[in-house]
Amino acid sequence: MNVEYIIKIAGPMLEGARTTALLFLIVIAVSIPLGFLVTLMAKSAIKPLAWIAHSYIYVMRGTPLLLQLLFFCFGLPQIPVIGQYLVMDRFVAASLGFILNYGAYFAEIFRGGMLSIDKGQHEAAKVLGLSKWQTLRKVIVAQMFRVALPAVANESISLVKDTALLYAVAVPELLNYAKTAVNRDFTVTPFVVAGVIYLLMTLVLTLFFKTLEKRFKFE
Amino acid sequence: MSSMIEVKELQKSFGSLEVLKKVTFAVNPGEAVAVIGPSGSGKSTMLRSLVHLEEATGGSIIIHGKPLVKDGKYASAAEIREITSPMGMVFQHFNLFPHLTVRGNLELAPRTLKRESIKDITAKSKDLLSKVGLTDKGDVYPSMLSGGQKQRVAIARALMLNPDILLFDEPTSALDPELTGEVLRVIRQLAEEHMTMIIVTHEMNFARDVADRVIFMDNGEIAESGTPEQIFGSPQLERTRMFLSRE
Repeated sequence: MNVEYIIKIAGPMLEGARTTALLFLIVIAVSIPLGFLVTLMAKSAIKPLAWIAHSYIYVMRGTPLLLQLLFFCFGLPQIPVIGQYLVMDRFVAASLGFILNYGAYFAEIFRGGMLSIDKGQHEAAKVLGLSKWQTLRKVIVAQMFRVALPAVANESISLVKDTALLYAVAVPELLNYAKTAVNRDFTVTPFVVAGVIYLLMTLVLTLFFKTLEKRFKFE
Repeated sequence: MSSMIEVKELQKSFGSLEVLKKVTFAVNPGEAVAVIGPSGSGKSTMLRSLVHLEEATGGSIIIHGKPLVKDGKYASAAEIREITSPMGMVFQHFNLFPHLTVRGNLELAPRTLKRESIKDITAKSKDLLSKVGLTDKGDVYPSMLSGGQKQRVAIARALMLNPDILLFDEPTSALDPELTGEVLRVIRQLAEEHMTMIIVTHEMNFARDVADRVIFMDNGEIAESGTPEQIFGSPQLERTRMFLSRE
């Protein structure tokens, strides 16, 4: 393992890491609000909405993420008649798969967070004259996020690692570059470099969520 | 003098279990009413029905002349909100908002409902914190307070909306005995200011001292009611005597 070689491959590998980071940011930014929306739907008094939310969660959690990615990238275009309109850029298709999968997990995390909130909170808010919507916004959501934070941190770190599944749908990202370099140069070094880059990314996330947890300690 | 709260033949059942059996009483302006009775007698359910935390299955509740429920039929959701708005409530377990500071707890509802200017709201929260003796705790989160302090914050929070009627649901039952005094002192002060109050309590000495009237509930009905002298001095019913001798 020499330094010169590492510097030489660092450029393309960081290029790959950029795709990884971009996918991560897109998925987090969309799947967290999606998950919250699905939680609200699952708790809705309107039965069909709740049913749709529960079915969605069941399907996305009950099937492999890899299958879902393959389905969005290669399956959709094969659907008769409408398939030709469903051909997407593979990065976009994969993002969609990740978003829908992680949205379901976040929905369950938030639902758990909501269940942990004492019903006295709803009662106090009601007696103080807050509407259901005001109660949700000002009393429930803040507490729910606090409870859900450790689980959200956990999921986020999983997501960093799951981005490596892009390899299977041939979107060039960090692992892809590493594998190419290993095959080309007959050395294990690129894998180690990739590992270090993943560790750096998860380290940043870990520190970020630690800070958030400290900030929302309510003490 | 017209009543502030009129409850007529209030009924509530969970399945076949009758929790309230035709409860009838009225509360006049400025009156402090203590409700006593054994656990499971329906005291809390009765109190919670007044602010629509429980739904009655029959009877009427009339607040300021407006029916919250009449012969078992409830007003519309908007009317319910309007009719229950003059009432504040203090809970056994405080139910403070843990994610807000003490001041945040006091100001959340008025700031959200926007009936007053921010300036008035902050001035009032400052006043009320000093009234309950917690001037220096405004920026502290509830988790850092003792039970007695939490309950005093809860009382101040209820007072922020200028209620005409305050309901207390066993306000000292979750407190260590040495902390009940500070909470009872605040309630006593409110009674001296002629705040209309209904207090469900197990503190017999407090009920005797502070209440203008005492209602003894047993088995889902009002067994006996009268002045503290009547109830504690010469109870008419055997079951009232039994209950008081146990407490």
